[in-house]
This record gives sequence, C-alpha cells and structure tokens, in this order.
Amino acid sequence: MSATDLDWGWAHDYENISGEVAICGVGESDHSKASGRTTSDIVGQAVERALEDAGLEPTDVDGLMYIPMAEQMDVAAFHEYFGTSHDMWESKGGGGMTHGAAAPYAASQALRDGQASVILNTFGVAWATQRSQMTGGPGESHAQELFKQNLEIPMGWFPQPVYFATVARRHMFEFSTTQQQLGSIAVAQRRNANHTPAAVMHEKTLTMEQYLAAPTIVAPFRKEDCCLISDGGGAYLMTSAERAKDMRQQVVEVAGVGLGNSHTGTHWAQQSPFTSTPQVFAAPVAFDMAGITHADVDLYTCYDPFTIHTLMQLEDSGFCKKGEGGAFVEGDCLHFDSGKLPTNTHGGLLSHAYVLGIAHVVEVVRQLRGQAAAQVPDAEIGIYGGYTGPQAATLILRKAR
Amino acid sequence: METRREFPLPDTSWEPIREFWAGAAANELRIPRCASCGRLCWYPRERCRQCDGEGFAWEAMSGRGTLFSWVVVTHPFLPQFGDLTPFAPALVALEEDPSVRLATRMVECDLDALEFEMPVRVEFRPLIFTDVEGEVTAPLFVPA
Repeated sequence: MSATDLDWGWAHDYENISGEVAICGVGESDHSKASGRTTSDIVGQAVERALEDAGLEPTDVDGLMYIPMAEQMDVAAFHEYFGTSHDMWESKGGGGMTHGAAAPYAASQALRDGQASVILNTFGVAWATQRSQMTGGPGESHAQELFKQNLEIPMGWFPQPVYFATVARRHMFEFSTTQQQLGSIAVAQRRNANHTPAAVMHEKTLTMEQYLAAPTIVAPFRKEDCCLISDGGGAYLMTSAERAKDMRQQVVEVAGVGLGNSHTGTHWAQQSPFTSTPQVFAAPVAFDMAGITHADVDLYTCYDPFTIHTLMQLEDSGFCKKGEGGAFVEGDCLHFDSGKLPTNTHGGLLSHAYVLGIAHVVEVVRQLRGQAAAQVPDAEIGIYGGYTGPQAATLILRKAR
Repeated sequence: METRREFPLPDTSWEPIREFWAGAAANELRIPRCASCGRLCWYPRERCRQCDGEGFAWEAMSGRGTLFSWVVVTHPFLPQFGDLTPFAPALVALEEDPSVRLATRMVECDLDALEFEMPVRVEFRPLIFTDVEGEVTAPLFVPA
C-alpha cells in the first residue's frame, strides 16, 4: 500500500508496554435475549464473577474503566453495588468495542504512575430488553449524530445493517468476494457457539445451505450476517504482570496493543478506502510491540457486528492480503478445533452475544489459560481486534511463561 | 419560521447543511468548495480536510455521477420507511470529484438492474414517509 493510500487515518503513538500489564480476572454475565434485567444488574454480575475468578475483594479494586454510556458502572455505581467507599482511579476510556482492546494501554500508564494497582474494565447492555420496550438499541446512538440525521437517514442510508451491507457489496465488487464466503464466517462462528454453552445461539445450528436459503433483509446481508441483539456484559481485571504472578490464575499478559483512527469518523461514505478498517493502522503497532508475526497467533477474535467486519479485519490486520479475505475464510479456517486461524471461538457478536466485544477479551484470556469451552489446543497467543468504525484497536495477549 | 421536523425528515435549517437542502428545493445539487485549495469538501466542516482552509462557497454540481455502491432494503428497519420497501439506498460518486460520495437513493428504476459504476443522474423528488407529516425535496438518482 502506498503512502497516499494511508492518508485516510493514523496510528496513535504508543510507548512499548509489552509484558507490563496482566489480565488477572475475567467474568461475564449470563447472556440472553430480552431478560428484563437492567444494565446495572448485568454489569454487576459480570464484575462479581471477575472478582471471584481473580480471588479479589471489591476493596482490592482501586481503578475503574468504563464508557460514559447509559447505566455503565462508574465509581459511584461500583460503590453502590458493592457497598464500598474507598478511593478509586477512574477512566472513561474503557468498555467494549475499540476500548475493550485499548483499555490496557491506559491502564498501563495508571499502573506505572501508581494511580492504581488493580484496574477493572467493564461493559454491559440490556439492548434486547430495551429494544423490546422501544427504549434503546444500537441504531439510537447513531441517530443522534447530526450529519447522519440530516444527510443519511432521510435518504434511507441507515441503520448499521444498511451501511455495512453497502460496504460488503462494494467489497464483493472490488475483490470478487462471494456470498458463500460471507456465509463461511456466519457458519463457522455458529459452530464455535454450538460448542460454547454460554453462547445465546448454543443450541441453534446453522449450515451453509440454511444460510444461503434464507432471504436477504438488506441485500447482500441475510439475518445471519448480522449480530444478535442481547442482554449481557463482561468485565476484566488488570494489574502489573509482576503482581499477577502471586495471584490465583495462570498469568495472561498484554504483549502488544495498537490504536488507529480514520479521518472520516462515522461518516463511512466518505472514507476513501471504503472497504477497509482502521486496523490497517492499529495492527502493525501491536504486532511490532509484541515482537511476533502472524504465524505466531493461535487464535483471533474481533468485533464482528456483521460478517464483513471479520473479513475486513482479518485483511487489515495482515492475516491475508487486502482482497483475499474471502478465500481466506472459506471452509474450516475459523473453526476452533481444526481451523488455520480459529476465530471468534465463542461465537462472536454473531452467535455468542452482542455485548460489544468485552466478552471477546474474556474469551481470549480463557483460551490462553486453557479454560475455554471451545478450547483451541495449546493456545499461547490470542488477539482481540476492537472496532467502532472511526477507530480500531488490536490487543495481543500472551500466556506468560 | 417553524423549523422542527418529524423524524426521519431532515432539519433543513441546521446551519452546516442548510445550503444543501435549500439547493435541493431549487432543484440544484449544491456542495461546498474550499476557497483555498479549490477542492470539494463533503461532509461540510469548519476547516477543509485537505488544506485546513476556512472559506467555502457552495456550488451547483452537474448532478451526474456513478453508482459507487448500493443495497436493496427488503426489511424496513424504521416503520417510517414501510411504504417505500423495497428501496435502494445508494452512494453516488460525483462527476466533479468521485471521492465525494453522496448518500442517496436510486429511484424510478429496476432495482435488480443496478450495476457498479453505472452512470446516474440526479432527480429531485419529495421525501415522503409513512405516517410522517410534511415532505422535503431531496436529490435522488436514476440511471443516466
């Protein structure tokens, strides 16, 4: 790719933090369709489980990361939930999506500076419940953006399935990507979910024949190209790799992290390489920091609201050349047990739960500990590719020796 | 003047894109051009993305372009689009600068016969939504 082609975004300037931070506890709530639970209850359950996993008490947590969206767990909410009152370092740069991958970088700075010693990152949604009550969901936040509201929505270029189907169709035109290749992603992730009891779609199988026979809802997307809408959440605890050695679990350390942005933000229509993601900028930083090559990676997870996002991020992260993602994902490539690159081994946003990526990090950590349901044999290095559209981040985790 | 409008109609009085909708009402497709570097700047910004210039002049486009990508919506995500279904939201690359892609809709054509890069031209048509009062004239496109 020429320098000109890279004018559409940039990588954040990250210091090398490889090996400094460990994820010492993970937890996820029950994941479900509309459950009637509140976001606060969901996040609280995930945090309780992460604390238990790490063998820590609520008072041990002196740092908290979240995203300032409705009902996320800030310090006041943490104290209310656990009945505590101690001082806590706080960052709004946490949560899922891109932040689920980039949060360990901000945490590393706080750990270095002694502002905190155990940092919790959480995220949860009750969008399935809220959507059934017409009070919220993924379309709502985008509908608040004024250019979308006044230039895109009136034309019908909305919501997310519409604009990302437009991306997928363009990818099919530019690179001869096929419907079956998109289907390979949906089918593989469903199979991974079928081996993961906590996945919302655990009981429901999907064959390529079923995928192709389904009607399109926004051509070329079928329902199975689109993520679930779920109630659920997750949490992970970070501390120094040094301190993690004395804790309950196998140490999983942050080997590399990178963050990239596009100049065009959420206005995808104007992004010059229309079928790319800012992983183009994020992934090289993370790989350089970790000092690994793609051949070293045992499993990959990524923020996958639609099948095309897995395809694009595999390309943009360098697992194959741009345009070759379709051929790359064919067959059993993404399967947890036999795949060349086991991907979204818990089923991802398509078949596990739409909890915006926080459960992907939980899954990678469990894989590297050897505790996953759909376990990749001898997994030592795993990745979470976080994405929000304007931003993408790559988090490389490694089983410490 | 009463400017509140009902979703999903655009707020044609919102300053950054007021000239776009005023143009549409006058059957012109208007896009801002940077006074410093001479390039089209879409979406409107306070400063030019290319050269950081601050001055813009809204200019009438030819209304010709090519079909960059599109989809066919058969499941209306918003009830207000119910009567339009099936419809084809599209991105059109403008003749004057193909890196400017207009979010629009292909209309008055066979949606199964649309092709990548096909020549298209603007037609100004009212946006009318199910159970929504009022209408706004918008630049929609047809095969050229």
